Amino acid sequence: MSNWALALTYILPTIAIIISYRERLGLERDIIIGSIRAVIQLSIIGLILKFIFSLDNVFITSLILLIMVYNATLVAAKRGEKIVHAKRISFVSILLSLIITLGALILVKAISYTPGEAIPISGMVVGNSMIALGVLYKNLADSFFDRRDEVEVKLCLGAKPREAARGLIRNSIKLAMAPTVDSMKTMGIVQLPGMMTGLILAGTAPEIAIKYQIMVMFMITGSVTIAGFSASYWAYRSFFNDKAQLYDI
Amino acid sequence: MNIIECDKVAFVKNGNTILQNVSFVVGEGDIVGITGPSGSGKSSLLRLVNLLQSPTKGNIFYKGKNILDYNPMLLRREIGYVLQKPYIFAGTVYENLVYSYTVRNLQPDKAEMLAFMDKVNLTPDFLDKKRNEMSGGEQQRVAFVRSLLVKPEVLLLDEITAALDEANTEILENFIRQQTETKNITIIFITHNIEQLRRLAQNVICIKDGQIDFQGTAQKYFSSREQ
Repeated sequence: MSNWALALTYILPTIAIIISYRERLGLERDIIIGSIRAVIQLSIIGLILKFIFSLDNVFITSLILLIMVYNATLVAAKRGEKIVHAKRISFVSILLSLIITLGALILVKAISYTPGEAIPISGMVVGNSMIALGVLYKNLADSFFDRRDEVEVKLCLGAKPREAARGLIRNSIKLAMAPTVDSMKTMGIVQLPGMMTGLILAGTAPEIAIKYQIMVMFMITGSVTIAGFSASYWAYRSFFNDKAQLYDI
Repeated sequence: MNIIECDKVAFVKNGNTILQNVSFVVGEGDIVGITGPSGSGKSSLLRLVNLLQSPTKGNIFYKGKNILDYNPMLLRREIGYVLQKPYIFAGTVYENLVYSYTVRNLQPDKAEMLAFMDKVNLTPDFLDKKRNEMSGGEQQRVAFVRSLLVKPEVLLLDEITAALDEANTEILENFIRQQTETKNITIIFITHNIEQLRRLAQNVICIKDGQIDFQGTAQKYFSSREQ
């Protein structure tokens, strides 16, 4: 695709701006700023990635991954206002899911630990784990509010906090995983995923693109589950004190 | 021997004083009725004894030891608590009753479950019922059996006969009395029903505005009311 052709694609956001103006949606400014920001941010990250890829240094690659995990931690932790140590929990859970997922892919030689492969793959792992943790924290807090009676009755019967909260924890993990599982079920039928579309557009043969997409799908399922499992069994403790009593939410 | 002792207990929640200067003792095997107007702090008192919440001031002792020094889980298995609103878990009655065993890492004993159910007028077919298939009174009886199966030494009952008809109230009261007589279980129950208090309680504690208004034998309580 030529740069000229790329520039012409701005016709599409322009249509959005016109519709917004005519329908008085008030989104014109946001669309303009958003599209300009996207172009600048992506151009900068493109240049940075080009530089990092050319360095091909294990430590710099690892540093980039850590920065990604840290940024995702901040976003996920914002959703976990009611969770004590939400940052710590998010950081460890996302990092754990990344280490296990990336480690497994490298171990089976699906990818190699080079910046060109590790960084984009990690981006997907970290991004999906981050979204899953946001959903998980919100659901866990809502569950402790809605199902307080159930937890207290179990405590009254002598259950440990972990046992009393098990149903809530499981439900929260399930809900955090639901978008990933749903998207896995409909893949290829409802949607052609972004990564696969990108590869095909860039000239990769569809059968190769599909192989990568299947790997990505499995990888995301694994990483979301690991992050969700780790975070939920840590985060539930925020709702109890040392006397196994529920805090008021 | 005193099994429970409250010593100058106060409880403040969100800046509101719920209980203040509450002191009383409960002997082993006693049946104690707690009464008083709604919102006077009766349920809060039971929650403190069960360690669902901790007192703001004062101490509660169980068998001479401060309840805060117990492992909360082990304490709650010895001091059972049936809440005013029975919460029946999702699943069948059988699954609800199994919880009382699994929580103690024990194998479920179906014969024991059925024996307890029979005592509170629940037929064996109830084992397969789910919460939406039972009335409030039936759910309350299931919750009562579920707590008893944990084998507590003290049982706190918060208006558990409120949703029951006369016949089932009588059955439950007889069963409670029997538990005390045969197993020496101590019962502390909350009621608004003055006749129930007369039928069941040996000792009465009356709470008003978070403070003890009366404590003593049931006989003394009723004679003071008649004066």
